[in-house]
Amino acid sequence: MATDLQDAALAAAGDTHAFERLYRAHVARIHGLVRRMLGSDEATEVTQDVFVRAWQKIGTFRGEAAFGTWLHRLAVNVALTRRAELGTRRNRFIAAEQVLESLPARPGARDLGLDFEAAIARLPEGARHIFVLHDVEGYRHEEIAALLGVTSGTTKAQLHRARMLLRSRLGAR
Amino acid sequence: MMDAIRDAWTDRLSEYVDGELDAAERGALDVHLQLCENCSATVEELRAVLERARALEARAPETDLWPAIEARIAPARKARVLDPGGWLGRRSGRPAGSDTGRARRWSFTFPQLAAAAALLVMLSSVTMWVALSRRPVAGPPLPGPSATTTAAALVQPAGFAAARYDAAIADLERVLKEHRSELDPATVRIIEQNLLIIDQATAQSRKALAADPANRYLNGHLAAQLMRKISLLRQATAIVAAHG
Repeated sequence: MATDLQDAALAAAGDTHAFERLYRAHVARIHGLVRRMLGSDEATEVTQDVFVRAWQKIGTFRGEAAFGTWLHRLAVNVALTRRAELGTRRNRFIAAEQVLESLPARPGARDLGLDFEAAIARLPEGARHIFVLHDVEGYRHEEIAALLGVTSGTTKAQLHRARMLLRSRLGAR
Repeated sequence: MMDAIRDAWTDRLSEYVDGELDAAERGALDVHLQLCENCSATVEELRAVLERARALEARAPETDLWPAIEARIAPARKARVLDPGGWLGRRSGRPAGSDTGRARRWSFTFPQLAAAAALLVMLSSVTMWVALSRRPVAGPPLPGPSATTTAAALVQPAGFAAARYDAAIADLERVLKEHRSELDPATVRIIEQNLLIIDQATAQSRKALAADPANRYLNGHLAAQLMRKISLLRQATAIVAAHG
């Protein structure tokens, strides 16, 4: 079984079978990231975009970091770019508390993971991105601040806001 | 209203949970939590949120996206060798894949070339030193699909895809050889110097692997060297293509 590094080298030389192996190894995590950041409606298309971009950029992967780390960074950048594009088209605002209140409480629901995912999806956009990157994906505040072009003080405040909203949701079950 | 009771510490509780308060603030909040049931309960709830977030599992998309991805990358596959958009290509200031613009000769400043060469030497030396220093370490058997599987069988041998690498490298070297006269001599010289460095590192890897074919680190190191060579050749041929 080839390693990611070996498959990346083969893909860089034009081997689509090697690239497919990389896709299958990483698609779940990338799709989860994109879905949580942008929502289910955008997830399929943007996940495809991530892997197409990875194919185009794989020659720049030098193997200093794990391929999964490189791909994840690329996915975050693709998702943030899409967010900016969507932001120019969307012109709506729904108060977070109202949206959370509109969610079905689903007491006794068997799939609490999905319930939590739904609550994340309805967080305010800025808070959601920071929550996903920090608490789900493990990025540090300084990294998130650099990605988003804000201060780490802002990311901390937004993270706390997201957690407080989700905490109220968990408490409502 | 989400919180019936808020105080000066409410907005710092996430930082407390994440261990980001300094010692003095943490000490003060520890004392506060002994006295404030609301903040104490909130801390526990925030920890529960964090625990839930960390427990979320990756889920693959409901439909296989590969066919659509493959359809999108297939047209680019044939052009990939001559149009990688790598670091040499970006020096042109033209977007990857651009076939517009007037042909020009390429050159780099000495500090740029020296830095690139030095970096390659350093990377090769360090990684080989690390790899060789790890070789004698004996450990438990590698995990495998069955008890009868040997460690060697679980690791790709040195020639795991040698034919495919060699074919790609041969194609690129042929293109570069046919068109090298179109490149600035200084650029050709540095490309060849770097290729030599990579070849030396590759030879070291192969030699070490001959003694320890199952060494995963050495296999990875070899793959990295071959990938560097392919990448460098692709970028060099991209310059050629841009001039064509």
